[in-house]
Amino acid sequence: MRSLNELPAGAKAIVASIDGDTRYLSRITSIGITPGCSIKVIKNDSKRPMLVFLRDTMIALNNNECKNIKVEVRGN
Amino acid sequence: MTDGKKTIALLGQPNSGKSTLFNALTGLKQHVGNWPGKTVEKKQGSFMRNGEEFIVTDLPGTYSLSANSDEEIVTRDYISSGAADVVCIMADSSQLERSLFMLSDYAGINVPCFLVLNLADVAKDQGKTIDVSGIRNKLKIPVVLMDATATKKYDDFFVCLEEAFNSKAKLDTSLLENRLESIDGYKELKAVIPDNLIPGCSPVWMAVKSIEGDKVVRAKIENSLKGESKTAYVDIISKFDRGALLTGECKFSFIDDLLKDSVTKTETNIKQTKLDRAITHKFWGKTVVVLLVIGGLLLSFIPAVPLMMLGSVFTAIAVPVRSALESANASPIITGIICDVIFQSLANTVKMLGFAFGITLVFGMFEESGIMARISYVFDNTMSKMGLQGKSVMPFLVSFGCTIGGATSSRVIDNWGQKVLTIALAWAVPCGAAWAIIPMLATNFFGWRAVLVIVAILLVMLVHIWITAKVFGGRLVKKEDRYGIIMELPPYHKPKWGALFRYVLGRTKDMFFRVIKVIIPVCLVFWILSYSAGSIEDSILYKVGTAIEPVTKLFGLNWQLFMAFVASSIGKEGAVGVLTALYSQSGTIYGAVNGTNAAVANSTQLLLSNISGPEALAFMFAITFNVPCVVALAATYQETHSAKWTGIITAYYTVGALIISCIVYHIGLLIM
Ligand SMILES: Nc1nc2c(ncn2[C@@H]2O[C@H](COP(=O)(O)OP(=O)(O)O)[C@@H](O)[C@H]2O)c(=O)[nH]1
Repeated sequence: MRSLNELPAGAKAIVASIDGDTRYLSRITSIGITPGCSIKVIKNDSKRPMLVFLRDTMIALNNNECKNIKVEVRGN
Repeated sequence: MTDGKKTIALLGQPNSGKSTLFNALTGLKQHVGNWPGKTVEKKQGSFMRNGEEFIVTDLPGTYSLSANSDEEIVTRDYISSGAADVVCIMADSSQLERSLFMLSDYAGINVPCFLVLNLADVAKDQGKTIDVSGIRNKLKIPVVLMDATATKKYDDFFVCLEEAFNSKAKLDTSLLENRLESIDGYKELKAVIPDNLIPGCSPVWMAVKSIEGDKVVRAKIENSLKGESKTAYVDIISKFDRGALLTGECKFSFIDDLLKDSVTKTETNIKQTKLDRAITHKFWGKTVVVLLVIGGLLLSFIPAVPLMMLGSVFTAIAVPVRSALESANASPIITGIICDVIFQSLANTVKMLGFAFGITLVFGMFEESGIMARISYVFDNTMSKMGLQGKSVMPFLVSFGCTIGGATSSRVIDNWGQKVLTIALAWAVPCGAAWAIIPMLATNFFGWRAVLVIVAILLVMLVHIWITAKVFGGRLVKKEDRYGIIMELPPYHKPKWGALFRYVLGRTKDMFFRVIKVIIPVCLVFWILSYSAGSIEDSILYKVGTAIEPVTKLFGLNWQLFMAFVASSIGKEGAVGVLTALYSQSGTIYGAVNGTNAAVANSTQLLLSNISGPEALAFMFAITFNVPCVVALAATYQETHSAKWTGIITAYYTVGALIISCIVYHIGLLIM
């Protein structure tokens, strides 16, 4: 298992678990990120939010907070 | 219900097309205010259908119905208050799975509702087919597939709406419950929760929120329970750790069950267009954004200029009106109030509205098309250091041109506190009027060293912004509200100019009254203070200015400079004119501010021989960091909806400018 923010652009993964307080969990699930959903990293530039694609949507996520999202990397 | 009128509330995640539907339904019949006791914008409107009036409430665009922000609390409370007869839940058909989350979060609320699957055209272009009747059978509420931008084709929507009013159908939760039952403890939890504890909210909904750790719901339930059931409740909920993940998974499984057999999905691919790659580029992104904003600012003059010219009409009319009044021997006070205050205020207001119209249109287009979300992404890191969203960079950039535009363009910031903070900080950015006079003044006084003055001003600007962010940041953007970005980047849409145009025009009319309410009184007060029957010495401003000169001298401002400083809060362009009028003893202060005085020969010489170097330096800083102008103040009031904060910011800048002036003056004395 790795943290989402360690993945390079182009990587695909499945969300395994998410840490954080109630508020963060509620925000992250309501935008569509839940355990089991597949995710693709579009951009991961330092000092920028991450860009990920999931459930037909492009989403920007605070890079630091992506440490909370643990993923299982998936081959192509 | 409101006075027996039928009321609809629009609920949906951002980008589900809520505003589009709201504007299409209500047209110009809308009213923007605040939710009582909250700093969240409340939009209501109305429309007539078959002789009946319908009220539409546009609920804040939130991602869920939890209680983590004022927006969410407002939304929740409004729905459970029963103020709406029917809730219209909106989802984006092109990302149905994700955007139905709001529906799944609504499940368990007993207020009648219907579902709008919007952006049908986009889903169709993606090759998705959606079977409405399948979804409708599972949910047991009316469902309509529509394109909210096709305003001529709303028939299906209205059929659905009427059906919802007639049948008062409530969302069937059995499909969701099937999933929830897999959560350990859910059933027991639901069993101990009493019915009707929060009006409109069923035990199913309350159980879900309890699992998610919703403090408000938990407290309500705990307080209502006694004895054994209370212990049971507390016992069960204490076992849930990260409950939002459990319910989140259930909700999305429920959505899967709902869409299974009803949506044929072809995998959508992510297309990053050229523009997208340029904007989100690691090195060039910021440059591209700055160029886009500058381009937008220039573009906004195209629709603005004709309207701004309309403003000059009032200035022109004032001339014959004045001669007519004078030849009729009207009292100079009446003439002054009519021509100087009323006509001049009208002229300024119309000019401002013209400019605001252009800005709102162009930056509204940025918002609509999806560019704004990219700007937020690119500047997120920089702006979040001040507790702001990435979008806040835009009002700053626009403020280099004009603070009025800066304040107006802050409309796209969806959090009130962040909006007010952005405007408060953007005031520190020297505007076009400052750039028009400061380099000229500095060159006259200091020759080539003017460059140093400009650099110093820019440095002071940065420090000012930093300090101001510290001063107001804590109160406007609470610590717990400062979290990282979690935001959708919607695909690019072609903006619908027609709808946008009508909407902005409607808003502009609204603005006229708000703005004129601020400008006329301020101008009137300033006019009274500067009024003199004969020479300038008769005016109140002169008397006060000379009386307190010993104090203002500490700031490096003699009475003439101080009066020009005061005048510069009405408009900076006039500051030099005021000085000229005072030193040459010709014209009036009010005339100088509005540029209607006769020109004075050798004004530069006049200033050089009367003002010392340190004084000139202090003055330049004082007017640069003073209140931008009365119209910017009005625009700030218009956008923040808060007289209190407009007042606080104004007072802060007036005092701040004097402090800066004082520091600069004493440094000036040391080095010159
Ligand atoms: N093609 C298409 N675009 C739409 C539709 N509804 C809304 N939009 C566009 O989607 C974007 C977001 O809509 P908006 O009403 O601002 O969403 P809100 O955030 O829910 O208020 C805008 O660019 C709209 O023009 C639709 O049915 N079809």
